[in-house]
Amino acid sequence: MSGDVLRLAGRYAVLAAAVVLLNFFIPRLLPGDPLTFSSGEGLDASAPMSAAAKEQLRVYYHLDEPTSRQLLAYLGDLARGDLGWSIARPSSVGALIAARLWWTLGLLLVSLGVSLVVGVSLGLAAGRRPGRRGDRLLVSGMAALAAVPEFLVAIGLLAVFSTGLGWVPLLGGQTAFISYGGDASGLLSRTLDIVSRLTLPAATLVLVGAAGFVLVARDAAAGTQGAPWLIVARAKGLRERSIAVRHVLPNIAFPLTTYLALRLGALFGGALVVERVFSVPGLGLLAYQSIRARDYPVLQALFLLSGLGVLVANFGLELLYLRLDRRRGTSHA
Amino acid sequence: MGGAALLSGCGGGAPAPTVERAPGARATSPATTGPARSDLIRFAWWTDVGALTPFQVSTAGPGGAMLLSLVYDTLTWKDEKGVVPWLASEWTTAEDGRSYTFRMADGVSWHDGEPLTAQDAAFSFTYYATHPYRWMPTEVVESAEATGEREVRIQLKRPYAAFIGDIAGIVPIIPRHVWEDVADPVKYSGANASTGSGPYKFAAHNEAEGTYRLTANAEYWRGRPKVAEWRQFAVPAEARVAIVRQGEADLSLTTDASVRDLLADDARLKVFETAPLSLVRLVFNTDRPPFDRKEVRQAVAYALDRRRIAETITRGPAIVGSPGVIPPETPWHNPALRQYTLDAARAKELMGGRKYTVKLIADTEAREPDLMAPMLEAVGITLQVLRVDPPTRAQLLGEGAFQMALTAHIGVGGDPDYLRRWYAGEEANAFAQGSIFNNAEFDRLGEEQTTTLDPARRRSIVFKMQEILAEQLPTLVLYHRRFYWVYDPHAFTPMTTWGGVMNGIPFPNNKLALIGG
Repeated sequence: MSGDVLRLAGRYAVLAAAVVLLNFFIPRLLPGDPLTFSSGEGLDASAPMSAAAKEQLRVYYHLDEPTSRQLLAYLGDLARGDLGWSIARPSSVGALIAARLWWTLGLLLVSLGVSLVVGVSLGLAAGRRPGRRGDRLLVSGMAALAAVPEFLVAIGLLAVFSTGLGWVPLLGGQTAFISYGGDASGLLSRTLDIVSRLTLPAATLVLVGAAGFVLVARDAAAGTQGAPWLIVARAKGLRERSIAVRHVLPNIAFPLTTYLALRLGALFGGALVVERVFSVPGLGLLAYQSIRARDYPVLQALFLLSGLGVLVANFGLELLYLRLDRRRGTSHA
Repeated sequence: MGGAALLSGCGGGAPAPTVERAPGARATSPATTGPARSDLIRFAWWTDVGALTPFQVSTAGPGGAMLLSLVYDTLTWKDEKGVVPWLASEWTTAEDGRSYTFRMADGVSWHDGEPLTAQDAAFSFTYYATHPYRWMPTEVVESAEATGEREVRIQLKRPYAAFIGDIAGIVPIIPRHVWEDVADPVKYSGANASTGSGPYKFAAHNEAEGTYRLTANAEYWRGRPKVAEWRQFAVPAEARVAIVRQGEADLSLTTDASVRDLLADDARLKVFETAPLSLVRLVFNTDRPPFDRKEVRQAVAYALDRRRIAETITRGPAIVGSPGVIPPETPWHNPALRQYTLDAARAKELMGGRKYTVKLIADTEAREPDLMAPMLEAVGITLQVLRVDPPTRAQLLGEGAFQMALTAHIGVGGDPDYLRRWYAGEEANAFAQGSIFNNAEFDRLGEEQTTTLDPARRRSIVFKMQEILAEQLPTLVLYHRRFYWVYDPHAFTPMTTWGGVMNGIPFPNNKLALIGG
């Protein structure tokens, strides 16, 4: 058993090293450089950046050095836990990420949790009697929803609930410049403020994310219909809900966890779109802005974070598979 | 229906948060005459603009330089009519045009109470030589020294006609006692880093949310500011007008002229139009066929219905591009230039029966290429559009790897020396990339105007440069764009600045508008 785990850990260590290297090269493969300072929007910097001043900046940020030396410096900094200094912003990359991490993690984890629970419940219910009218409606509805890009859902929600009905604010994050009391009621007000502003961004991610869970859970659950253990459970007179949770759910855990692991990677991409549309001050918005600015140090750190995050999650899942496999008496090569 | 109203709605039993000013509520009533007096302006800009020091402020767009101008002062400034004395109460120019002596205004102090002296002014220029202000490099300055208690002399490497407007009027004067011991100002984050002498003091900044709070400097040497507090926060383009309408902001901008109709009947909000301080233009690679031939560039100008393109995109009255580049309604514009009104027959004639397929580089969101394609097709030019993001465009243009490119920018309403810098290869900013024009007469005039201090003579040279551009068309301005500022007149009175604030920035919040003249 420990041999399996060691082999797995070794494989992931190689992958992590590849992630570190790719993170360095991918931003540098993009055309353009971090010293363009372009805003888009037709209000481009009227700053008369002279060729000499640009060269001075290139030297300051060590962009004039050969790639091999830049790579060594990056690896050295990383080994010391230093993520570097942003080129587009006057801040260390670590501080930029720390200020935004909780917005993104909160948004992603909440929406992932909600879409998992909602999606699996709907899927289980639909999978109980596959082919019925309700099931067919749900499947086609969810398939359609899963195909709609996040930004379209986001803009639709924004148009209806914010600019249209005026139920929730236009922008995510928290209301600028509000001062709350330091006591419990202040904390409550602040929480309510943030919740009201994150409702639409989270709803977007839930709508798009839940559809996949519905389809996976429904297919897996439908596949268990007619299985001997299910007939036995029904014959014992167990209630449908208890059958679904106690018997069907554990049997469809495999495809669900696999899908969950796949979702993790896609989630960060979703956050990028949703945070941009709703102006949530999270890592996705930072990534969007940093790609446009070609801010190499920030991009390196963000790719590293999301890459390693997905690796760790997958590693955890594979460990779980090992356990599940052992319980089933099969071996995991 | 604003966010605060919703909040108090769902707050239930909990006390509502202290919104320092509820939407719609005004703490002071507007004056019936004269500029408004208020305790707060909330400005919706599009992004964080960096820390408020000259070394850390963002230069992607003019937002950083503008906010900095509220915290720091410069030797000169501009009002509605032209350059005015600021930290320098007067100045003299040496006969050879290579040195300027400034007399510093009396009674000026830094936000920390220290007096602002000629030593500070001299120190600023010396410090910028090694740590440049990214919005306005000062390479032309050879040295700066305090020659008296209140006198500073700045020596230039060569005569530079744009010095008073572009450098003395843009480069912030910084406190020597804060910066003299700072070796790396890009990474300096001391509590005193944003000490200026301007009408507003730095109070708070949240980098992740792009929010800033500046408070009025009650001891400001030009008089106490009329608005007690300046707040700024980041709002995406699509939401900017909506956020002012919802009452969460008092001031924001758009380039969409339809906002005038949208707010025509609005009892609360007004729209302020700036001069057409921006360009949307085609850049031709005059080193490569087919645009190495003047006739083909002119054919494009005759073939395009630029009025219709402008009206379609700005959704308002068109300001067709000046072939001399410098926009109308700005100080250096030459109105008597060769014009290219829509004339497809003339375009075909200039094409001489030839047909071309050309590649156009444009930004991802640009809509102009779709309108241009059929117009050019009609005269025998087939357009292939390559859509890229701004850094990619800058790289392709910088390498000369293009035939024709579409670009949009500001920075063209102020001192006209930029025309020389673009084509002399001295500019390395995003929009000057790809400026290719081999014309000896233009280069000669460019050099001549940059050292000509007599305004009338310089003006006639700059007019001639525009004539050459209009005839040769190394670039074709499709149209000029105004900026439409949506504002609450109870909070703020906008102001027009001669040629735009500093180097042509289309903002209505010249600090003179906040402190009164």
